[in-house]
Amino acid sequence: MSEPFEPKIIAFVCTYCTYAGADLAGTSRLKYAPNVRIIRLPCTGRISPMFILKALQKGADGVLISGCHPGDCHFTHGNYHARRRWMVFRALLDFIGIPPERVKYSWISAAEGVKFAEFINSVTNDIRKLGPFEQYSQLIEQTQAPASL
Amino acid sequence: MSIEEQYRKRAMELLSGGAVKMVIGYGRGSNAERRRPVFISSPEEVNRLVLDEACIANLSGYLVNEGLLSDEKRVAVFLRPEGIRAINILAAESQLDAEQIVIFGFDVSGNEVKALKGIHVEEFEDVIGAIKEHAPEMGNEELLEKIEQMNPQERFAFWKEEFAKCIKCYACRQACPMCYCRRCIVDSNQPQWVNTSSHSLGNFEWNIVRAFHLSGRCVECGNCDRACPVNIPLRLINHRMAQEVLKSFDHFAGMSKTQEPVLASFKKDDSETFIL
Amino acid sequence: MAKIGVFICHCGENVGAKVDCTKLAAALGDHPGVAVSVEYKYFCSDPGQESVKKAIRDNNLTGVVVAACSPRMHEATFRKACAEAGLNPYLCEIANIREQCSWVHTDKDLATEKAMDITRSMVEKVKRNNKLQPIEVPVTRRALVIGGGIAGIQAALDIANAGQDVVLVEREPSLGGHMAQLSETFPTLDCSQCIMTPRMVEAAQHPKIRLLTYSEIESVDGYIGNFTVRVRMKSRYVDIDKCTGCGDCITKCPAKKISSEFDCSLGKRTAIYTPFAQSVPNIPVIDKANCIYFKNGKCKICAKTCQCDAINFDMPDTFVDLEVGAIVVATGFQVQNNSLYGEYGYGKYPDVINGLQFERLASASGPTAGKIMRPSDGAEPQTVVFIQCAGSRDPSKGVRYCSKICCMYTAKHAMLYAHKVHDGKTHIFYMDIRAAGKGYDEFSRRAIEEDEAAYIRGRVSKVWQENGKLMVRGVDTLLGKPVEIAADMVVLATAIVAQPDAKEFAKTIGIGYDEYGFYNEAHLKLRPVESSTAGVFLAGACQSPKDIPDSVAQASATASKVLALFSKDKLEREPVVATNNEVTCAGCWGCVLACPYNAIEKKDIVDRSGRVIKRVASINPGLCQGCGTCVTFCRSNSIDLAGFTEKQIFAEVMGL
Ligand SMILES: Cc1cc2nc3c(=O)[nH]c(=O)nc-3n(C[C@H](O)[C@H](O)[C@H](O)COP(=O)(O)OP(=O)(O)OC[C@H]3O[C@@H](n4cnc5c(N)ncnc54)[C@H](O)[C@@H]3O)c2cc1C
Ligand code: SF4
Ligand code: SF4
Ligand code: SF4
Ligand code: SF4
Repeated sequence: MSEPFEPKIIAFVCTYCTYAGADLAGTSRLKYAPNVRIIRLPCTGRISPMFILKALQKGADGVLISGCHPGDCHFTHGNYHARRRWMVFRALLDFIGIPPERVKYSWISAAEGVKFAEFINSVTNDIRKLGPFEQYSQLIEQTQAPASL
Repeated sequence: MSIEEQYRKRAMELLSGGAVKMVIGYGRGSNAERRRPVFISSPEEVNRLVLDEACIANLSGYLVNEGLLSDEKRVAVFLRPEGIRAINILAAESQLDAEQIVIFGFDVSGNEVKALKGIHVEEFEDVIGAIKEHAPEMGNEELLEKIEQMNPQERFAFWKEEFAKCIKCYACRQACPMCYCRRCIVDSNQPQWVNTSSHSLGNFEWNIVRAFHLSGRCVECGNCDRACPVNIPLRLINHRMAQEVLKSFDHFAGMSKTQEPVLASFKKDDSETFIL
Repeated sequence: MAKIGVFICHCGENVGAKVDCTKLAAALGDHPGVAVSVEYKYFCSDPGQESVKKAIRDNNLTGVVVAACSPRMHEATFRKACAEAGLNPYLCEIANIREQCSWVHTDKDLATEKAMDITRSMVEKVKRNNKLQPIEVPVTRRALVIGGGIAGIQAALDIANAGQDVVLVEREPSLGGHMAQLSETFPTLDCSQCIMTPRMVEAAQHPKIRLLTYSEIESVDGYIGNFTVRVRMKSRYVDIDKCTGCGDCITKCPAKKISSEFDCSLGKRTAIYTPFAQSVPNIPVIDKANCIYFKNGKCKICAKTCQCDAINFDMPDTFVDLEVGAIVVATGFQVQNNSLYGEYGYGKYPDVINGLQFERLASASGPTAGKIMRPSDGAEPQTVVFIQCAGSRDPSKGVRYCSKICCMYTAKHAMLYAHKVHDGKTHIFYMDIRAAGKGYDEFSRRAIEEDEAAYIRGRVSKVWQENGKLMVRGVDTLLGKPVEIAADMVVLATAIVAQPDAKEFAKTIGIGYDEYGFYNEAHLKLRPVESSTAGVFLAGACQSPKDIPDSVAQASATASKVLALFSKDKLEREPVVATNNEVTCAGCWGCVLACPYNAIEKKDIVDRSGRVIKRVASINPGLCQGCGTCVTFCRSNSIDLAGFTEKQIFAEVMGL
């Protein structure tokens, strides 16, 4: 029997809420799947749709985006702007055939260590079930895109 | 008097009185079916103007040509409703001063060309409002329906095949009035967000970025569709995005010259059902 | 060539138990651009930090990655250490392999693999880090306080008493705001003027406070520490330096029938007037719209009366330009116009009044000298009905929010009335009694228990006149019965709303506001007295409906914020700010709209002859807070954010 598929997941999070929530999961010694790699940004407002495309280019089978709950943004409105962009970008990816199950969004506050751990676990499980994002990796293989600047 | 004659007459009056410095309209093209843009600046030339059902192109993009409007003089332009919406967007995005634009509005239904009343962009809000309520048929509804029915793998395969044709000529960008950036993000190489060579990944990325940047801004004039040498159904993606911003934010691109750009604004109660 | 040092911390067993640090150090040692890759038990310890510093010096490192606990723990520590070793502190980054790796995973191999990814990704980022310098902004140590109600006065006094200069601008002829209009104040029933007027005088006489009354803000430019403000001093037609405040002109003025704003139309004033007897400054103004001379060109009786030659009908408005470092906005509130509620008869029946009018009736210095007399015929009302929430908590016609103070002042009104009209009867229609606050519940209970205020839970549907009485119809929802009361006077607890010009004014100063026009705080919980614009603070009821204790507390809080800002000559800020490439900017100005801090301005680029050749966005580093919202918005990719640049993040992703 072949080894179960382990997805590669890249997460983009804001430093004030979700990154702090992830730290809290750590200080609380919660356990979650080791598949996720976190990239820290000042605010969800800084999370560009480009990052999602680059994560996919780097072979991510799933991408996570997370920040402060509405009303809690350290920069007051960054997450409201982000939410609109996500809404639009999500619909676009869906229409192009990049399944919404592979790009997930959440609000996780600095106090929600448990939610963070559960979120990572459930998404990792879901993407494990979906399997590798083969269609996209074919694009990449046909390409040899430069992976540096 | 036919509309063509009326508009020639009006063009003549505006040019000879000095009310506008130029009239941008349609002239005869390389064959009987084709029309090409003409730039008329003297009253003697107004007879070159043609107005018939073959006048499809959205001419608003010519207005933002570097330097054209910087002398603050007025320019007249032939526009269909989509073109008028484009003026609103360009004004809302500070690319032009709507005061400077004199509109020769018209619409085509079947073989019939009818004049749209008004001169300044504000006067067409009813016309635009009516399109918001009842979008005219585009002729691509069937294909859209077909794509919506597909599963993600099929959709991906469909677009992969379409995008595979793309030769990265950027004719679509050139033709679109909304693609006015001095430097497009594709041309920014520090870092190279979009792979520029026309291999499959690069083509995917380019077309995704193009559609994203036009979300909530595309007026569905079809300039891009017609410009694309390999016939990728570009307007279809834009149309899907237009549906999305309308549904999610009640935003119909180009409603007024003071409309807030949909991605530079927000409402606290915007929908967020997809966020966990 | 990059020479990056990678320092892998075991954190005792905390990292070491789950991440194979030796393997990690070896892997990173092989990574391109890494000059040093070492492990140690505790890098945050003194010897640990010393070893980092030594490695920087010995190897001329161009960047440092410390793979350890969260950057939220020790980023500052290691950046400081780098600076001490001569490396720009912003060339140091932390790879979080404890909170986000060793502590949350059980499989050592997988955790080690993840730690490698995290650290590599950080190395790739650091290679693109730029040297940054903290931003220094000079601070002008002078505060502008806008609004001379209790909140503005308190803020001005607190700042001035700490030795800093203050300019206090009030647009009315006198200081005081609403508190000067009140009779006695809950929850202690002390006389409002008795506690207010000494404050007003103190502010006016304070050597550190420059008072500009009858003045309005024309424009505000600049940013935290460096605002330039233009103030229009409206012409009083009375020379403030010559006038002694004798009031002879007021007594002689023949235009005596003008309805008094201060008395809420219950009293009259003259055309040359001070709003009330204890006005500060005690210098009259001429109300041009009602002055006989200004209307007909004949009169000037006041000028003839004045022995100091202080009256000048040709006096123009004058302008004052101020340089200030901080701004406190304390522009207060208004009460809602209740003619919106036709069914209550406000504006139709003279004896239906609002709460503020009741304050004037109850005030010893008011139009009735404190006797409760109804406006229509001056008779003493024997039955008074109070209607709470007349406009508040009513999304259909009024405002959705609770005005917060009406429960309390209505209880107060019932008590004041009971104390003045001993055999009178009060009925109060209410939705809930909200009496949270020190002594507040006790206060409203006293109204019920000692002063026999009859509370009826329910809404009033209609007020009409019948046989010389005001008939009030409502429901008692506790009894489930309709009630009808024949009253002599009806008092509406009208909603507290923002100043009518609040939104416009917010745009003048560049701060945010909510749908009602109340000013937005930077963070409702953690930064309640700061506006979203750095250097602009909020005090009193302009932020939300408030009573006096809350207004004063908030005012003192703004003073402490201002004083903290003034405690240094220069402001130091994290250099995480956005910059714009003016060459590629398309001038769409979407970023201007999107920025939560109004940090982006529209800028014209002109050629030598002054002709505009291009319009672009321009980011003010003094205002930018570094969220990066604009960067993401910009389609032409013209903006970038120091510390989190496009290149850095691209490299981070590609390093995974
Ligand atoms: C009927 C009633 C009864 C009340 N009774 C009590 C009570 O018993 N106890 C209690 O604690 N609270 C009471 N309050 C609440 C109290 O009045 C407020 O808490 C207090 O007045 C708020 O002070 P402020 O300085 O924020 O606003 P304000 O008193 O409104 O003062 C604002 C000042 O700013 C000035 N201003 C406005 N805009 C500008 C501008 N653009 N430029 C320059 N100046 C400007 C105004 O002219 C005014 O002088 C009562 C309120 C009402 C309506
Ligand atoms: S994207 Fe195409 S259809 Fe839309 S405005 Fe541009 S050219 Fe017209
Ligand atoms: S016009 Fe067609 S082929 Fe050319 S870049 Fe656009 S999509 Fe590609
Ligand atoms: S969003 Fe970009 S292009 Fe538009 S004004 Fe701002 S910096 Fe310029
Ligand atoms: S980074 Fe944020 S605060 Fe700074 S200019 Fe951009 S949007 Fe405004």
